[in-house]
Amino acid sequence: MLFSIDYIATIINSTIRMMSPLLYASLAAAICAKADIFNLSMEGAMLVSAFFSIVVNYFTKSVVLSILAGVMASVLVSACVGFFVLKLKASPVVVGLAINNTVAGATTYLLYIIFNTRGVFTHPSLVGIPKIRLPFIEKTAVLSTIFSGLTLLDYMSFVIAILVYLFFYKTVIGYRIRAIGINSEAARSLGTPVEKYQFLTISFSGILCGFAGCLLSMGSVRLFIENITAGRGYIAMAANHLGKSHPIGVLFASLFFGCCQALGNFLQNTSLKTQITSSIPYVATILALIVFTVQKRYAKQKKMLEVFNKDAASS
Amino acid sequence: MILEMKNIVKVYDRVVANKNVSITLEKGEILAIVGENGAGKSTLMKILYGLERPNSGEIYINGKKQVFRNPSDAMKQGIGMVQQHFMLFDTMTVTENIIYNNEISKGVFLDIDANRKKVRELSKRYMLEVDPDKLVKDCPVGVQQRIEILKILHQNADILIFDEPSSVLTPIEVDELLKTMKRLSNMGKSIILITHKLGEVMEVADRIVVMRDGEVVAEKRREETSIEELSYFMIGRQTTSPVIKDLEPCKEVLSVKNLSKVDESGKKLLGNINISVRGGEIVGIAGVSGNGQSELIKCITGLDTDYTGKIEVCGINVTNKGVGFIRKAGLAHIPEDRYYWGSAKEATIAENVLMGDENTERFSKKGLLNFREIRKHVYRIVENYGVKVSFLAQKMKELSGGNAQKLIVAREIEKKTPFLVACEPTRGIDVGAMEFIHEKLIEKRNNGGGILLISSELSEILKLSDRIYVIYEGRIEHEFTNKNLDSRKLGFLMLGGKTA
Ligand SMILES: Nc1ncnc2c1ncn2[C@@H]1O[C@H](COP(=O)(O)OP(=O)(O)OP(=O)(O)O)[C@@H](O)[C@H]1O
Ligand SMILES: [Mg+2]
Repeated sequence: MLFSIDYIATIINSTIRMMSPLLYASLAAAICAKADIFNLSMEGAMLVSAFFSIVVNYFTKSVVLSILAGVMASVLVSACVGFFVLKLKASPVVVGLAINNTVAGATTYLLYIIFNTRGVFTHPSLVGIPKIRLPFIEKTAVLSTIFSGLTLLDYMSFVIAILVYLFFYKTVIGYRIRAIGINSEAARSLGTPVEKYQFLTISFSGILCGFAGCLLSMGSVRLFIENITAGRGYIAMAANHLGKSHPIGVLFASLFFGCCQALGNFLQNTSLKTQITSSIPYVATILALIVFTVQKRYAKQKKMLEVFNKDAASS
Repeated sequence: MILEMKNIVKVYDRVVANKNVSITLEKGEILAIVGENGAGKSTLMKILYGLERPNSGEIYINGKKQVFRNPSDAMKQGIGMVQQHFMLFDTMTVTENIIYNNEISKGVFLDIDANRKKVRELSKRYMLEVDPDKLVKDCPVGVQQRIEILKILHQNADILIFDEPSSVLTPIEVDELLKTMKRLSNMGKSIILITHKLGEVMEVADRIVVMRDGEVVAEKRREETSIEELSYFMIGRQTTSPVIKDLEPCKEVLSVKNLSKVDESGKKLLGNINISVRGGEIVGIAGVSGNGQSELIKCITGLDTDYTGKIEVCGINVTNKGVGFIRKAGLAHIPEDRYYWGSAKEATIAENVLMGDENTERFSKKGLLNFREIRKHVYRIVENYGVKVSFLAQKMKELSGGNAQKLIVAREIEKKTPFLVACEPTRGIDVGAMEFIHEKLIEKRNNGGGILLISSELSEILKLSDRIYVIYEGRIEHEFTNKNLDSRKLGFLMLGGKTA
């Protein structure tokens, strides 16, 4: 039963759902890294978006307005980070952690003020992001399982990954931002307003985090839980590292972490302790980073050995 | 007159870097500015390029008064500067580096083909050969400088500033650069050249301005002056050459056996190197830079521990050991790059002098620093070596290039270790100070110290070394005692020539 086709299809479906918010956040991390900004605040940006999209959703019942509110809140938070780090030259680590903690506290508090509840808020009147139905796929059972319940935002995450790629590697502005990331001093000496570009980049990363937050609160579910992001912002940083800040590399890294989360969720239904299953994505993160580094070093050593051997043979 | 700088005054915290400096520049002229370390040459150029603002004084371009608030203002008026530390995007291609900020685009997209074509044209017009698609980090230093020059030509600069452009180049690359400057000036570009190498000045400059202590002290046309006169203007005395007395070398302070190294891509950097240095001798390594000198030094000093072979310092096996261990064994090291390996730019002068000695009994007790002793020591070094600083808590990055170099040299010599690795010890240093550092190196040798000297200045190697190794493509090809060698022959061997 474990390996039936349907079962695998469900896992794939769950992987995609887990993956798309991660992909948005990882892309946000990647574009910041490309522009030489150390951004820790994806976590906070996602959380604030998840919260405000639910608030606006409750009061307006409009998905579009909710997403708009979520994205705007997230951009605001990211722009704040940009202001502190780029304009006031504060330490990015301190600012990032401070923002994340502030947002966590503020959302909990506002949850109580606005909805008078603690922990979780959900309501039957909340509207989810509409699911996209693809008629040509529904004919096959497996395919329809794989793609069931996906929203426009899920599909869009892949498109955006490709757009980000095109932006960085084909457009003039993208090229300039990449140059800033490689040597900001040189860019400055050529008269580029480095901080301006960086500020725009981190603000744009807020849009991506905004989408991620909306997906968390209105994608598969319709609710807000305290700390609903559960460290995804930090996993996104790992994904960015594994994907070497390249949009397509980041796509595959998020796929990997999405898969780990999906597996973690599925194994909850088995006899394994939830403490163990829910730690799977995080343990996987650490393992992946270790393997990544070790493998890199190993490849280098192997190459050195090869040359030495060839040399010894020839002389 | 294309440029006139009039009565420029620039005061930093407690230093007057420029006192009423005035210079002029004609179209198509090459003007050389020479002077001691800390004379204010770089400051003047930074003002011209908009990197610093003068406290008073005016700049006229083509007779019109201009105020530069930042480099882009200066660029707009046709001023370009080849920075001493290259400002390049390492992991981008040559094309991407040259076109930056003046890209040809198709809508929002970058038109790589058109840009590449543009770079080809430019490179052809000025006869500065580059491969447009190569990554900058794969280009040798000389080519990187060419890229810098093309970059400012691409911005349509008419006035080109070169601040110590030849200090990082090989002799052949220097020749090339001087030719390029001549060619550019014939094409109507005006050039300001700052350098400590008076030979270069006499070769290309039309006019020479000498600065001392922030003032212009002399101005001469090239035909009217000589190297001797210029150095007299600069340091106020005649230069002399040191006497090197004969000495019987004593015990071995460095022994390198079968050292080999391969880089990540599998390229062989060092092949089976065997060298030895004994106390009481200066051993030079001659070679065109980029032939493995940097790698060799990194292995010996422990900055790189990834190699095969055996290294001993003062009889202690230090193979694959880190810097701390080797320094304890008896190594001091004047590194090639004064800012990257040699100092902490944001730290103070005192802190930079202390580095590496903070744990010795002399300067700390039970983990607490002994500031009285430290101050005394730093003061003595600054005084003895004539480092121009304004106060001991000054930041390293505020020193002029040559003074920063002097401070590092002083620190390493004053460690009084049995073995010293000196890489380019006089890079960026004026003729007077160079003489002084040479004397100090010889003094160390006469006191029984062993010195491994790496320098791209052939004259320096020939002047100081007892023995010379020639390095070529990562291999030590020849070994000589200094007596049976002249610079022609050495130059020939450095290029991979074989002895007949
Ligand atoms: N940012 C700064 N803050 C304080 N003092 C400075 C700063 N920059 C330079 N100075 C001082 O101004 C003086 C002139 O420095 P400058 O760099 O112009 O010398 P230079 O002629 O280029 O010397 P070198 O040949 O060593 O490069 C020096 O005494 C230096 O210490
Ligand atoms: Mg200078």
